Amino acid sequence: MNTAEEKLWNYIDDACTPAEREAIELQIAQDAAFAAKYRELLALNSEFAMMELDEPPMAFTYNVMESIRNEYAATPLKSAINKNIIKGIGLFFVLLISALLIFAFSQTHLGTGGANAASHFKFLLPNFGPLFTGPFMQVFCFLDIVMALYLFDNYLRKKRITKTDISVQSGGQTGKH
Amino acid sequence: MQSKLSDSELIDQALAGDQSAYADLVKRHQRFVFTLALRFARNREDAEEIAQDCFIKAYRSLDAFQRQSKFSTWLYSIVYTTAMTSLRKKRVETASIDDEHTFIQVESQNSSFDVNNAENKSRSFYLNEAIAQLMPDDAMIITLFYNGEQSLEEIGQTMGIEPGTVKVKLFRARQRLKEKLERNLKHEVKELI
Repeated sequence: MNTAEEKLWNYIDDACTPAEREAIELQIAQDAAFAAKYRELLALNSEFAMMELDEPPMAFTYNVMESIRNEYAATPLKSAINKNIIKGIGLFFVLLISALLIFAFSQTHLGTGGANAASHFKFLLPNFGPLFTGPFMQVFCFLDIVMALYLFDNYLRKKRITKTDISVQSGGQTGKH
Repeated sequence: MQSKLSDSELIDQALAGDQSAYADLVKRHQRFVFTLALRFARNREDAEEIAQDCFIKAYRSLDAFQRQSKFSTWLYSIVYTTAMTSLRKKRVETASIDDEHTFIQVESQNSSFDVNNAENKSRSFYLNEAIAQLMPDDAMIITLFYNGEQSLEEIGQTMGIEPGTVKVKLFRARQRLKEKLERNLKHEVKELI
């Protein structure tokens, strides 16, 4: 059996059947004590509804997004790289090897045999010699050094970020104990 | 300035890799999530940590959100489980949380600093003080119902209980809140006299 208060809360929350509603309305109209209780609960309900929410610190959103960014920056490179790029590089090497094999077999005369077979096996390769000397080689080496320095700098930055995160986390934990 | 897009649209953008869309979602729900966390944590630092943790967890599993319920309901269920886990951890470290008097003691210590300003205290101050003295589950139900504008079914989803049980718990929580509010007000009146 519902108490009077429970009935009234159901009535205020609009959580009762039409028949119950009608019965409660009748009781409010006829019973002064019941009506007084209804008014009291109604006032309390309005008061509860005016409860204010607490305000988080100003930097809350920034802190959340910073944590998310740090977490996703630390994901392995494997998951960050587009797989199509890896497939493309693989395809390039497969085609290169195939082309070299085709070129090598096309230069081979298998039918001749004998001791002079080696003399027929000649590769007609272009002359790459000049490319590895002079200004071309210097430019190539210079670009390599720049790239190596850039990658090394990136590696050190990431290492420093990870170290800062670990020290902040361990600092926070020790602070609580 | 907050985005005018719906939660669902912001989720779509966040899933497509737009982190600023997720930042908008955080801004939209942070006050309520923080308030809920505060109902369990009882101090702002711990509440901030819980609330932050909830948003990070939600971001991680955003693609698992099936949109069968409101985003807020899903988010509040994360808050509830995270806060409960945090509360269990704290139980080991401190006095029993089940002991309702623990909260009353802590709160009355805090309120003693404000006795001189009793006249200036508004009714909402007493209400917040009374809520802080409730058990976390009671405070959570009251907050979800009144501030979160959640239905009994949605509160049930958030807390993993039946709507009928929510109705009973809400009734009891309101009774306890009423008692505490009356007791606090009587106490303040005595202080003034």
